[in-house]
Amino acid sequence: MASENANPYKTVDATPVKSFFVHMLTRDIRLEDAILDLLDNCVDGILRPKGAVQRPRGLHPYNGFWAEIKFDGTSFSIADNCGGIPWDLHKYAFRMGRDPSRPPDEPGTVGVYGIGMKRAIFKLGTECLITTKNGDDAYEVDVPAGWMQNETDWSFPAMPAKRPMKHDGTTIVVGALHPWISERFHEETEEFGARLERMIATHYAAIINKGFEVSVNKVSVKPRPIKLLFTENARKKKQTDGIKPFMFRTKTDGVEVFLAVGFTRPIPSLDEVENEQSEKRYSSEDAGWTIVCNDRVVVYCDRTELTGWGEANVPRYHTQFIAISGIVEFSGEASKLPTTTTKRDVDASSALYLQVKNKMREGMRIFTDYTNKWKTRADESKKQMVAGTPLSFEEIKVQATKLDFTASKTSVPPGGQYKPVLPVPKKLESHNRRISFVKTKEEVQTVGEHLLGEADADPSTVGEACFDAFLKEAR
Amino acid sequence: MKAPPYHLRPNKAVDRLTLIDAIRRVARADELRRYTYYGMGGPYLEDFRLIYELFPEIKLVCIEKDPDVFKRQRFHLPCRTHRLRLEKTQLSSFLANYEARNEKGIFWLDYTKLTFAQIAEYMELLGKVGANSLIKITLRCNPPDYQEKEPSQQQTKLDAFNRKFEALLPSPLSALPIQLKNFANLIQDMLRISAQKALPSVAPLTFLPISSFFYADTTGMFTLTGIVCRKEDLAKFRRLFRTWQFANLDWKPPAEINLPNLSTKERLHLQRHLPRRKSAGKILRRSLGYLIDKTESETELQLQQYADFHRYFPYFIKAVP
Repeated sequence: MASENANPYKTVDATPVKSFFVHMLTRDIRLEDAILDLLDNCVDGILRPKGAVQRPRGLHPYNGFWAEIKFDGTSFSIADNCGGIPWDLHKYAFRMGRDPSRPPDEPGTVGVYGIGMKRAIFKLGTECLITTKNGDDAYEVDVPAGWMQNETDWSFPAMPAKRPMKHDGTTIVVGALHPWISERFHEETEEFGARLERMIATHYAAIINKGFEVSVNKVSVKPRPIKLLFTENARKKKQTDGIKPFMFRTKTDGVEVFLAVGFTRPIPSLDEVENEQSEKRYSSEDAGWTIVCNDRVVVYCDRTELTGWGEANVPRYHTQFIAISGIVEFSGEASKLPTTTTKRDVDASSALYLQVKNKMREGMRIFTDYTNKWKTRADESKKQMVAGTPLSFEEIKVQATKLDFTASKTSVPPGGQYKPVLPVPKKLESHNRRISFVKTKEEVQTVGEHLLGEADADPSTVGEACFDAFLKEAR
Repeated sequence: MKAPPYHLRPNKAVDRLTLIDAIRRVARADELRRYTYYGMGGPYLEDFRLIYELFPEIKLVCIEKDPDVFKRQRFHLPCRTHRLRLEKTQLSSFLANYEARNEKGIFWLDYTKLTFAQIAEYMELLGKVGANSLIKITLRCNPPDYQEKEPSQQQTKLDAFNRKFEALLPSPLSALPIQLKNFANLIQDMLRISAQKALPSVAPLTFLPISSFFYADTTGMFTLTGIVCRKEDLAKFRRLFRTWQFANLDWKPPAEINLPNLSTKERLHLQRHLPRRKSAGKILRRSLGYLIDKTESETELQLQQYADFHRYFPYFIKAVP
């Protein structure tokens, strides 16, 4: 054994290898999500200079702010007027990972790990120019050709901006796109553009509704918020609240939680469920749970166990439940939110999320139960639904202030909830009997044409007409 | 109104003949005996008859699910069954079991409706065919199907359309197109996105559109034809079709087929002045010496259509048995 003085094993090298950041971290994220990371930075930029007490409030706090995304086979760019990167922040903003000495961010931001912008750039290409202006600071940072191959150089050259921007903001231009990215942008321009537009329209619906403007290849993105049906107070007349969402709110450790689950549209009839499955439509897309962290969607319309489907007493998702949708929002300090490093997923092991998930299941049960009770009488159910107004999440929160919330005794952390009493079908009278049978489409069309003069008549109408005709004859 | 019989629709007949033209061009790049034509035929197997008569080396397979139409097809066989195989099955089942192996296909998905399932079949097919296959899809493109008088019902139709085709739309529609031309543009955009989904940039094969048309023999229809080829062969196929009168190699707006009603005597008279590169409508109008529509410009538009498609315009002859 070597003596202490002659120890040849003094240290081992643990410095990071660049390819880990450039090639490995980028595998954990989809291209669309990497671009949304850049958009997150734009919004964080709006929140940054306003100070801790000035989180944007009011109906349109993001009015006047915009981000423009452009891509083609040779380059990708994102430009914004969201405040730019103050020179004081340069020692944090461009590092790989978050420096623990960095001052805490303002509420409402979502950046936690200090990796989003760099990861997105490396995902896209090998050269980049970042131009930014914040007040008197106007500079550009270059990721030059060959930087990613140089294992010893961990700095990016910075210099005064050659073409200073007119407004406070940042422009990121990525050139030398990876060949597979370039091919995708070139050969799938329309498909990728539509996919990105859809993701921004759904994931940024709340922020765009609050005034933020986003464009993709010069086409402005219109928000597509999920809306839940809400009928006015029906309880005065009947022993039901009509169709309203289940709502729950709580606050714990600086994080505010609000959830609402309900119906987006009338429940489908059994025939519609069957058609839906045979037609292979994608119209289930707005069914399921959406999880929002500081206005940004991290999970969109999930229909798996991640959000409670198929767990405890909640049935597995089925086309029958196509009308059920829920939104749960977490707001507060970014590091306490139940999201992952990609910010496009929920941390399923987060204690906060697991507690809230109990309430998500509780709410969902009310609507799966309603669907099961009414599925054979979808037409009657539809009449209850058409009286409802589709309300966005923000509008539901406003309505919530007018409703009587009761203390939720079972929830941890404690909170308040609104549990609607949904309509219940009157029991079938004892002398009524339900008849159902299956016939081929062609046979139904033939009988429909023969009896009603309508080949495309609803199968249940054709069946009923048959029965009525024979009943008349029998009597 | 009852639609004219399948084999007596002049605009569709022209469209069918443009497919024949396209096959002729593909034959310059590849041997036709390697190809099999797959179609849906209809009761009279009109497209099969044409292909058999013009390209006897192409094998033929007809897919039909309706048992009576199937029997009628057997009655209308244009040739012996060792050249033409009739398959009594649904197209979706056929596609599920289809394997291209080394074969090249000419497929005509000749639908009469517009549903997501049909576009899904088109996408499935694009992902399955061999290189140098020719794919044609025809879909219903009829704006009146989506027009309602009541604004609330109109909104319901719009919402249903947006929901049904969400995955294929460039962005959600704020209104459904009222004009046939604009509806055709919309369907073409949807098929473009579908093709990019079916053959993403990482795939060795890609889809090159070669022609697209819209027409209405009472009901509006849209049709797109393209080639699935290796990326390295794209330039070759572009060259082959570049000089084709109907080429649409860059997803430009589809062309209209809207043939005028002309007597045989008028057609033979007009044909003496054709072909003509410029001002065909005006020259033909002057040659006729009278209007066939309300105004000079409308007459010229109709005669321009005749000039564009006169070689493909079928003669429907009255015969006394």
